[in-house]
Amino acid sequence: MVGLAQRSTESANEHSTTSVVHVRDLTKTYSGWSFRGRKVVNALRGVSLDAFRGEVFGLLGPNGAGKTTLIKILLGVVRSSSGTASLFGKPAGSTDARMQVGYLPESLRVDRHHTARSALRYYGRMSRMSAAEITRRSDELLELVGLEGRDRESVRQFSKGMYQRLGLAQALMHDPDLLVLDEPTDGLDPVGRNEVRMVIDRLRESGKTIFLNSHILQEVELICSRVAIMAKGKICAVGRIDDLVRSESFSEVQFEVTQNNASQEELALALRHNFPELLLDEHLHWGPVMRFILPLSTQDQVNHAVDRIREAGLSLRGLTLKHASLEDTFMEAVRMSETQDGADGLVPEPEMSIAPITGSTASIEANT
Amino acid sequence: MKRLLPYVAVIIDSFHSALSSRILWIAFFAIWLLLGALAPIGYREDYTTTFVDRDLDNASRLKAMLAQGLADSSKTNQPVGRIARALPEDLKRQLRQVGEGEDVRIWYSTLSDALNELFDDDSWYDAQAWQSTVRLRELRVLDESLDGQLSDSQRKRQTRLRIEAALPGVFEGRSARSIRMTYAGFDFPARLAIDKTQFLIVLNQMVFPTIIKWLLGYILVFLGILVTASIVPDMLQPGSLHLLLSKPISRWMLLISKFIGGCAFVCLCVVQLVVGLYFIAGLRLDVWNARLLLSIPVFVFVFAVFYSVSVFAGLRWRSPILAIGVTCIFAVFCIVIGWVGGLFDAFVSRPDSIKTVALSGDQVFVTTRGEGLLRWQEETSQWEEIFESEAIGSDRVLPPVTLNDGSIATAHVDGGRMNVFGMGAFDLLVLSEANQWRPQPSLRLPTATTRLLVGADDIVAANTSDIAITSQRKVKQAIDPDSKAASDKTKAKPDWMAKLSNMMGVPTEGFENLLPSSIVLSPPRTLAIDSSGNRLALLSGKQLYLLERRPEVEPSWTITASKTLAGELPRIASLAINQSHLLLATEKNELMLFANGSLTDPVSIEIPNDLTPLLVISLDDARRFAVLTSDQRCRILSHSDATSEWDWQKTLPNSKIETIGFDPRTQRFVLAHHVDRIDVLDSQTLSPRRQLRPQLSTWRKVSRYLITPLRTITPQTGEVGGTIAAIISGESAVTMHRDGSGPAEQIRYKILSPILSCGIFIIAMISLSCYYFTRRDF
Repeated sequence: MVGLAQRSTESANEHSTTSVVHVRDLTKTYSGWSFRGRKVVNALRGVSLDAFRGEVFGLLGPNGAGKTTLIKILLGVVRSSSGTASLFGKPAGSTDARMQVGYLPESLRVDRHHTARSALRYYGRMSRMSAAEITRRSDELLELVGLEGRDRESVRQFSKGMYQRLGLAQALMHDPDLLVLDEPTDGLDPVGRNEVRMVIDRLRESGKTIFLNSHILQEVELICSRVAIMAKGKICAVGRIDDLVRSESFSEVQFEVTQNNASQEELALALRHNFPELLLDEHLHWGPVMRFILPLSTQDQVNHAVDRIREAGLSLRGLTLKHASLEDTFMEAVRMSETQDGADGLVPEPEMSIAPITGSTASIEANT
Repeated sequence: MKRLLPYVAVIIDSFHSALSSRILWIAFFAIWLLLGALAPIGYREDYTTTFVDRDLDNASRLKAMLAQGLADSSKTNQPVGRIARALPEDLKRQLRQVGEGEDVRIWYSTLSDALNELFDDDSWYDAQAWQSTVRLRELRVLDESLDGQLSDSQRKRQTRLRIEAALPGVFEGRSARSIRMTYAGFDFPARLAIDKTQFLIVLNQMVFPTIIKWLLGYILVFLGILVTASIVPDMLQPGSLHLLLSKPISRWMLLISKFIGGCAFVCLCVVQLVVGLYFIAGLRLDVWNARLLLSIPVFVFVFAVFYSVSVFAGLRWRSPILAIGVTCIFAVFCIVIGWVGGLFDAFVSRPDSIKTVALSGDQVFVTTRGEGLLRWQEETSQWEEIFESEAIGSDRVLPPVTLNDGSIATAHVDGGRMNVFGMGAFDLLVLSEANQWRPQPSLRLPTATTRLLVGADDIVAANTSDIAITSQRKVKQAIDPDSKAASDKTKAKPDWMAKLSNMMGVPTEGFENLLPSSIVLSPPRTLAIDSSGNRLALLSGKQLYLLERRPEVEPSWTITASKTLAGELPRIASLAINQSHLLLATEKNELMLFANGSLTDPVSIEIPNDLTPLLVISLDDARRFAVLTSDQRCRILSHSDATSEWDWQKTLPNSKIETIGFDPRTQRFVLAHHVDRIDVLDSQTLSPRRQLRPQLSTWRKVSRYLITPLRTITPQTGEVGGTIAAIISGESAVTMHRDGSGPAEQIRYKILSPILSCGIFIIAMISLSCYYFTRRDF
């Protein structure tokens, strides 16, 4: 805890453009034999991405998108079929690269004979730490993850959350520069999640690079500075969350209108008359101010809708562009990848939004 | 060094993992329970008193003596008569039937039980009658002591010695004191018919190796497989493996560390058991055999063979159950291959192995371990069977000898192996070229003849208790050209007295007694006669005799020297004699060489490499002996004129020698090797003159081209038991057979080859596993 704080002063905010994780055209094909003959699975189909020093990089994607395969290649657990992957400029999987990585697997399994402390000792030894270092770091990390006092209990009695905290501690044991976290808050209660988030924040402040794989979009939104969305073995989108979400892809506009002295019935009648496409039952809100949503996605459409409202003698009290959330962006990216894939599965899909390597501002801004 | 720390951590972790296994603690508990159960075992030494069936060396003779004691009224007051009359009624009735010439089978145990009943009431004893018997010093001492001074055990000992004195030539030589096993202070019912030294030998050569082999070789290895089978599949669990593989360690080193960890854990079990056994053997049985501890690494090694299979199966299928299953199937495969190999050894190779050789000019005759008599056929390059070799047969063939006219003398005993004494007598068979080498019966041999020798113009026949001699002329005259090989049924039925004498092994018609009456043979029996036929060396029990023939005096054979061997009763012995020296070989790894005519001051000649001599023969030139040693090689011992000392001259290049022989007429030295091959050498130059290479039979081909390669590629885990036996006993072979003819049969422990085959297998399996683990995506 103390160590982390000290180190953070010098390296905080020292965002550099050094690529910590560098992946280019990475492909991975699993092939196996079954009774039905040869089975080939293209888990990765030309993935390229970079994660930079000091950032929290999130990897998003539905199940089977290839996220785990990508992480396994980065850790050297799986060998790539083609393309390159490097960590700190060293080939992914090399001993030097692995020396600098801490990994928290998705469902960490610690042998039942361990206690938290003995497990940390074991994993510390794996990273060639000395006994003294191990003792010092164990004390620090057990406190950091909130396992102090329970470090001599058998892991048999651990809850899922405690396992996860232990996993985080072991990933940090050898003070790695890159942390690869696979579902770090999985199985934690809200308090636990918050604690993990705080730990990650502190680590980022201390200049660590964090490569995070998660299903929980809100969490990614909260923690990550940049994300990549994967589907079907490809990267669909990559960039800062703001950039991805603040895209042109707004699809709905909410209007708030009113008419002087008009009753609700009259207002409704006027709306029905002017916007026959409006499904009032669903979109019309009754009251002195009426809210409704129109499926508009361009500025011209919006202008036209405003004109029609004015022509109908209605007063425009408010207008809100419904921005796509990260979830919407995610769903849209996955959907597009699926349709494209269906049309021509082999053609690499162009990235939906431009992902400036420098993490600069968004390419499209909504006109509000 | 720091680079190795992760792997040390993996090994230690495997240990911890195993220690948390419940099966392990059950195993520990079982080991402690077993050691606790064994701890009260002890022993005490006691006088050798009552008889057990194994004490009877020649039951036919005992039967005949007792029957004669009952039937012959002149024996009534002699010891044998008094003993016979004191026997239980049932047995006496059977013995009377024997006396009447009926073929009555009496169990050994019935005879020994009947003799044991004599211990209860010694009214049969009469000091006067026993004066005429040959009494051992021990008995004389006991007889001279006053009644009140003898303990109960001593009185029983006295009774036994009196019975032995009354029935000479019947009993095995036993030491005065024997071992009685105890458990928590209570005696086991059975007395072991061995003294303490033999007891220790039995413990070290038989009991410990067997216990260790079963406990470690089967039970602990199986338990080890059960406990360690989950180590590798556990490591492969996704949450555990990916984390491990993300650490800066190499995969193959990780796997090897897991392997070593599993082996180290089994070592923990084995150490407890073996150290426990070591202390029980030391504290309770006075056997502090540190070599016992050497079985620890050997068995960890055996475990490693199976564990290497378990590791690979665990890697491939990631399931402990499958790993155990595959390993068990593999273990069964190894056992079956070992078992089939053993069957081929016992039923294919062993019966064909040559035991003795005789030459007659160009003709070569051999007997085999399967008790067949074979003649070499030059035209077909095969052995022609005169009597067939059998794997499980009870017939016996006497080693053939060559008579002066070139014919061969031998004998065939039906059912002789199980009962060497034969139910009746059997004929000397003569094979001559004139009769197309077909056997023709000649003189009736004394019962239970085990060995024939030729000396000058004589034939000497030795049986279990006596030695008889006849001239070759008489043998030739007695050939009955009309009769085939005959059993006693075809001959005129002798009267009951003659028959009883026959059963006792006295010389038959045409033979004369050679031995003075003061000598009754007892095992081990071996003899040699020199080329002049006038000097005979004889070992009976621990007594070594030199006899010489002086035709002018009566009896013509007299003892010129005798000597009692120091130390234990040898189990195997071989004698060779030439004009100047007598060479005695026992199972000790030294030979004793006696100068002509005297049995004092023997020269001791050490055999290199701790080998045991199996057979010694004279090369008939007063300066060389050939010695067949337990490494199946032949060494020449020769006398140097320069230093006038005896020393090893050379070791013949041939290996796997089965037996050796010498033909004085042609001066040829014969080696039988590689089961049934023969090399005939010039005895002077020791250079080959003729080589007989028989064609393989179908089964021998299967053995050589299928079974042997299979055994070679399969790790010989079963045979590591032999390695253990060799390590614990400190011997390279165990002597299985002793029948006076041919070299003693030995089972040689394969020490290096099982270790080598297992080692290669482990390296191959682990390399394969490492390759798989390194190359595969997880």
